[in-house]
Amino acid sequence: MKKYWIIARGIMEETMTYRLSFIMWRFRGVLQFLVLYYLWLALLPGNQTLFGYSQSRILTYVFASTLMSAIIFSTRVAELGETINKGDLSNDLLRPANYLLMWAARDVGDKLMNIMFSIGEFTILFIILRPPFFFQSNPFFLAATVITIAIATILFFFINMLLGCIGFWSNETWAPRFIFTILLQFFSGGLFPLDILPKPLFAFFSATPFPYLLYIPLKIYLGQLSFFEIGKSFFIASAWMIGVYLLLKIVWNKGMKLYTAQGR
Amino acid sequence: MKEITRYAKIWWILTIGTTQIAFASRFGAAIFMIGKLLRFAFFLLFLVVLISKTHSLASYSFWQVIFFYATFNLVDTLPQFFLRDVYRFRYQVVSGYFDYILTKPFSPLFKALFGGCDVLDFSMLLVSAGFIGIAGSHIGVVTIGNAALYILLIVNAFLIALAFHVVVLSMGILTTEVDNTIMLYRDMTQIGRFPIEIYKEPLRGLLTFIIPVGIMMAFPAKAMLGLLSVQLIILSFVVGFLLLFGSYLFWQYSLRHYSSASS
Repeated sequence: MKKYWIIARGIMEETMTYRLSFIMWRFRGVLQFLVLYYLWLALLPGNQTLFGYSQSRILTYVFASTLMSAIIFSTRVAELGETINKGDLSNDLLRPANYLLMWAARDVGDKLMNIMFSIGEFTILFIILRPPFFFQSNPFFLAATVITIAIATILFFFINMLLGCIGFWSNETWAPRFIFTILLQFFSGGLFPLDILPKPLFAFFSATPFPYLLYIPLKIYLGQLSFFEIGKSFFIASAWMIGVYLLLKIVWNKGMKLYTAQGR
Repeated sequence: MKEITRYAKIWWILTIGTTQIAFASRFGAAIFMIGKLLRFAFFLLFLVVLISKTHSLASYSFWQVIFFYATFNLVDTLPQFFLRDVYRFRYQVVSGYFDYILTKPFSPLFKALFGGCDVLDFSMLLVSAGFIGIAGSHIGVVTIGNAALYILLIVNAFLIALAFHVVVLSMGILTTEVDNTIMLYRDMTQIGRFPIEIYKEPLRGLLTFIIPVGIMMAFPAKAMLGLLSVQLIILSFVVGFLLLFGSYLFWQYSLRHYSSASS
């Protein structure tokens, strides 16, 4: 495991080398958070409810989604497509390590940096804004939140790897990723809780992996899902995770047969 | 006049080049255009869902909110359509290509800003204009004066966006950081997707006068609705002029400090 930790540490050091870029990246995150925070604050005065959410629940949703996003969505796998296109994948293949774990280690390095900074930002914003935050104290909901975050993180990693594999067949790896980012932005629940959507639309998106990436962990943290719904969510998210992993294995093996290290 | 024609010809040649590049992969071009339209549609859906429950937003009716959103999209897309080369500027600085541009017999600032349109944004301009027309026909009586003011304030918003892009280019020369700075500008302008009145003071004042997102995104729509005072109209143009002038001075400063270290 030591070699993977060295890779993760390398990513952390690389991040600190381009400090201004990273600070700008984090500042953008804070700005996006503030837009959402003030939007919901304006829509939902203190004693009212909207779409079944009180002000305290919705502001907790916004705060927690910022923190969870740092854990789940921080990634370096977006570079995989370009790595394949440039032929740089050959470098990874020559190393005495598992390719999947290498990319996972890069993600861990990136996630650790983002988590550290987002905790700092979260604390400062919490002190300044003093929101009516809902602290979940039920150990069951807390444990279920942690498990769903772990599943979401792994699922997101596999989906990202799968998108990167497009590089084996096409130079256009950014265009499909652009569509994915837009779908993720809206249907993972980062902008708004998905249950405000009309029921047929909500049911449709519940069948996709997107809600399991952010919305479900947030709903569990807020204690708004029943035991049955949590169990069902575990099952569907795990099924997506295994399904995408199996698909990734097939696609990767097919891609490797085509890979010619073109560009080297 | 002769000089304007010359620059118009240069712009046209550069735009043909970038358009050919954009359509080199028709699949990629189609996906990007679909993505942009989806983003517009999804946010529209969010607004529709929101207002169907609240019935109004900051005392604006449904169609007025849609008018604000369509105007935001127009003001947001115009700089992306015309100033797309700014997004490629970092590479030009770190690779030394900018040295080559400096030797050309035209303004390097012109090339850095207007180095070719992004034709993939054209569909979004049409959609925005279409929604402005549809929403505009539902917001009540619109006078010719208000409509003219609306167009002038859109032009002013473009000039403010231009000023921001010049600042980003100047920072790119001084620090080689462009990508996150330009995205930071984009994030800031996203605040204007909603009428600025939904934000509380002092944030609202900050967004209007310090980071003039309000002037860019909300003032044109407010002028169309007849809700903007003469003082604020004058202030908008003064802010636009000062920002453009200030950004040009910053560009000249950064150019004097360009070290050509990467070439």
